[in-house]
Amino acid sequence: MAEDIATKLQNYRTAPFDARFPNQNQTRNCFYNYLDYHRCQKSLDAKGVDTAPCDWYKRVYKSLCPMSWIQKWDDQRAEGTFPGKI
Amino acid sequence: MAHQAHAYHMVDPSPWPLTGAIAALLLTSGTAIWFHFHSLVLVTAGMILLILTMIQWWRDIIREGTFQGHHTPPVQKGLRYGMILFITSEVFFFLGFFWAFYHSSLAPTPELGGCWPPTGIITLDPFEVPLLNTAVLLASGVTVTWAHHSIMEGERKQAIQSLTLTILLGFYFTFLQAMEYYEAPFTIADGVYGSTFFVATGFHGLHVIIGSTFLAVCLLRQIQYHFTSQHHFGFEAAAWYWHFVDVVWLFLYVSIYWWGS
Repeated sequence: MAEDIATKLQNYRTAPFDARFPNQNQTRNCFYNYLDYHRCQKSLDAKGVDTAPCDWYKRVYKSLCPMSWIQKWDDQRAEGTFPGKI
Repeated sequence: MAHQAHAYHMVDPSPWPLTGAIAALLLTSGTAIWFHFHSLVLVTAGMILLILTMIQWWRDIIREGTFQGHHTPPVQKGLRYGMILFITSEVFFFLGFFWAFYHSSLAPTPELGGCWPPTGIITLDPFEVPLLNTAVLLASGVTVTWAHHSIMEGERKQAIQSLTLTILLGFYFTFLQAMEYYEAPFTIADGVYGSTFFVATGFHGLHVIIGSTFLAVCLLRQIQYHFTSQHHFGFEAAAWYWHFVDVVWLFLYVSIYWWGS
């Protein structure tokens, strides 16, 4: 897919099929995209580069994850108790 | 009939199965009472009755076999089958806890951080005390085999020495493991890591204590001339049990201590 990230984000409707998570239980899909967004943010920020490509992960996890999970994980990150490695 | 015309052992009536069943009832209900109402009375009564049942039942078996000659070859064969089936059931018991461990560790949930060991768990170094424990149990497997050969060859003093050494190694393992439990940076309440670790290793430790006790009884019997070079099934059963305990440890060590770190 040679189209750039801005076009992909513009055409985004919902989370596409991800062969890494082929089964009914999509928990890991949600969690990994949440992690990937924040890891992407952290590493691109550190390099001083534009973080727009990270928004893909954000769109995916916003589509997939229950809002209560996102809220809980955001609260944990603010508190410093989030168990995932970012 | 005036006398039995077969080689099997028709056991005399005994109260111990009943007292054992009563002990089981007291232990189970007692545990529930302890959990809800903080009383240890029933559980203590159950433990005392259980210990008395075991002592007297197995004492009677020794009397029937060693002193009264009821353990003919077919009877001994039945006892062998029995011990093998019992150990097999114990294998399945441990299989359950290994299943639990692998269920949680192969696909760690987001609550754990999606990783194993979970975030925040400081694991024990598998190459420190756990490795020593492995060496201790493997050595005890050698000494118990030495004891067996000594008994078969009629070497009374060596049998006593090697059996004593086996028991001492068993005690050393228990002591080291108790130290590890005390010093561990995590507890049984620390998520699924703590649960799987302490339940699996805890039941194993209990089996080490049971096995050591069984071997100690064999040592006392050996000192009192119960075993012959041809017939010493009580010792063989203890040795099988001890090897089983050793094998379970090896699986625990590789799965939980080594891979799981």
